[in-house]
Amino acid sequence: MGNIQDIREKMFQAGYICDDKVATVLFLAEALQKPVLVEGPAGVGKTAISQAFSRVKGLPLIRLQCYEGLDEAKALYEWNYKRQLLHIQAVSNQNLSVQEIEEDIFSDTFLLTRPLLKSIASDSPTVMLIDEIDKVDFEFEAMLLELLSEFQITIPEIGTITAKHHPYVFLTSNATRELSEALKRRCLYLYLDFPSKEMEQQILMLKIPQLPEQLAEKVAQVVGRLRKLELKKPPSIAESIDWASSLLWLGKEDLDVETTLNTLSTIVKYREDQEKLERIIYRERDLNFRG
Amino acid sequence: MPVLQYLQAFFEELRQQGIPVTTSQVRDCCQAVLLIDWMQRDYFYSTLFATLVKDYSYKQAFDQVFNRFFEEYLSPQNLEHLERFKQQKPARPENETAVSDYEIGMGTPMGKGGSSQAPGGQKNPLEQDFGQVSEAELARIESFVPLLARRLAAKFVKKRKRNDQSKIDFRRTIRASLSTGGVPVNLFTVRKYREKPVILVICDVSGSVMNFSCISLALIASLERFFQHIESYAFIDEVADITGLLLSGNPLNFRGHVLRNARVIGATGYTNYGHSLEEFHQRFRHRMHRKTTVLIFGDARNNWQENGTWVLQDIKNRVKKVYWFNPEPASVWNSGDSIIKEYAPLCDRVFACPNLLELEKSLAKI
Repeated sequence: MGNIQDIREKMFQAGYICDDKVATVLFLAEALQKPVLVEGPAGVGKTAISQAFSRVKGLPLIRLQCYEGLDEAKALYEWNYKRQLLHIQAVSNQNLSVQEIEEDIFSDTFLLTRPLLKSIASDSPTVMLIDEIDKVDFEFEAMLLELLSEFQITIPEIGTITAKHHPYVFLTSNATRELSEALKRRCLYLYLDFPSKEMEQQILMLKIPQLPEQLAEKVAQVVGRLRKLELKKPPSIAESIDWASSLLWLGKEDLDVETTLNTLSTIVKYREDQEKLERIIYRERDLNFRG
Repeated sequence: MPVLQYLQAFFEELRQQGIPVTTSQVRDCCQAVLLIDWMQRDYFYSTLFATLVKDYSYKQAFDQVFNRFFEEYLSPQNLEHLERFKQQKPARPENETAVSDYEIGMGTPMGKGGSSQAPGGQKNPLEQDFGQVSEAELARIESFVPLLARRLAAKFVKKRKRNDQSKIDFRRTIRASLSTGGVPVNLFTVRKYREKPVILVICDVSGSVMNFSCISLALIASLERFFQHIESYAFIDEVADITGLLLSGNPLNFRGHVLRNARVIGATGYTNYGHSLEEFHQRFRHRMHRKTTVLIFGDARNNWQENGTWVLQDIKNRVKKVYWFNPEPASVWNSGDSIIKEYAPLCDRVFACPNLLELEKSLAKI
């Protein structure tokens, strides 16, 4: 069991800059074997945490992307219906008993394992990422609850499959709906907010090694100010990285009003937002965005 | 003060502030705290936060309690005490008995802080009456609105989703099976056509319901994010379409924003339900149909003017449901110039929503 500084260091090597708070939660997740529920605005690196963590641990990342209407068949397992049918057709003239056929078609060969079963049935530990959990229905959430407390899945035709190793579980949520209390209680809660200016500068320099320090600082500063404005969609970390790298490509050493106007489209993605920023820049002729 | 006692006092205080802290969370917290270095404030803070708080809307309240407590209690000599304590009890998270001693604070009923006044003099924002709050308190109440909207949206969506089991489209499946020798390899299901809910909100923004309309507008704005088919209107003595007017900005300024940018003030400037309803009927009645749900937010204080009940009757005939949300407690309905009793028979339900909690409960019933 590593200590918190150690985790921070390793996450950094895996390409993820985190502060003590995040590192503490990761440490506790490992020590207490609890799932981590990560919430926060879009684009602050909720998904990236688990990716970096799987690199740190050297374990495979098994990801379940949630969406409205996701059901057990897509998340746990499904019988390969077509293959079963074809199999029955193929053996229909072989004089097999009904029981034999049934044993055949409900064997592993005909089971399509979906991410959650894959993670549970895996021989080595895994990092399980359940992305955007807030998109699924309550029913699915309840099923997940059972899975996360027992770490086992029951398939009526086969039996119960229990995890050999507890997977490291990360759940992310954009908080578009309230998750059930029971699910939240089982998890450690981590709220990720947009990074501080200093941290964002570090992130930029880690992600784009050629980026001059001065430019990184300026970009981090301006992006930080933009996030304080009331935009339809505040720029995410990914967008500030995009912006910095496009500035680098354009051969800019510093960020000025002109350049910003020309590259606005990399940083804000809604027309209303762009117009708003243009208005402010034209009026103020600087990048202070005092609103 | 011994460690356990002051952690217990801390949990107690969180509960007082309305943060639900359950026994299992207390246990997790105690387990976790044994594993970390207490001297590091950041570690300590995020350990407590990660185990005790499960919703970001509680962060502010948590921070306040945390700062108060651990400025006060995390003194060097207490820390020393903690250290000694830690050495006595080696951390064994997998061993339940090691932590059973920490299962504290169980005697207290866990809850939402109740209606009791918290020591800081702050009332539970959910239960404060709209009529008598200061601007700062209103801001606190307002901060709960997005949460409320989210819960409601989830409820509506859930309602829509029931009975969504798809059925096999027999004809298509059999037809397709002809190309596979009669084996139904590809299954087709009947797609159900589902409509988005159509909600139409009419909001009184006059002075008599100032705080309530601030909250209603914030709520409408939040709901607009979840429902595509929601239209909103505001009125004092004239009615205006404010759909899309509330897309951005500070929710507390919405009312001012509406007053400035929409023509809701007519010739007199005094609330006139009759005239506003008639005008609404004249201009927007074609926007209502059988599937629309109409929500009206207002106190029905009409300054003794024409009531326009026939309009409401007609609206009721056109749409699926009409609900009225009145910020006044039922005890003062129909007193003075309140004419809610004249509108009430024409609504499917009238709710008294003097505070956010009641408003949420009412909205959940529809």
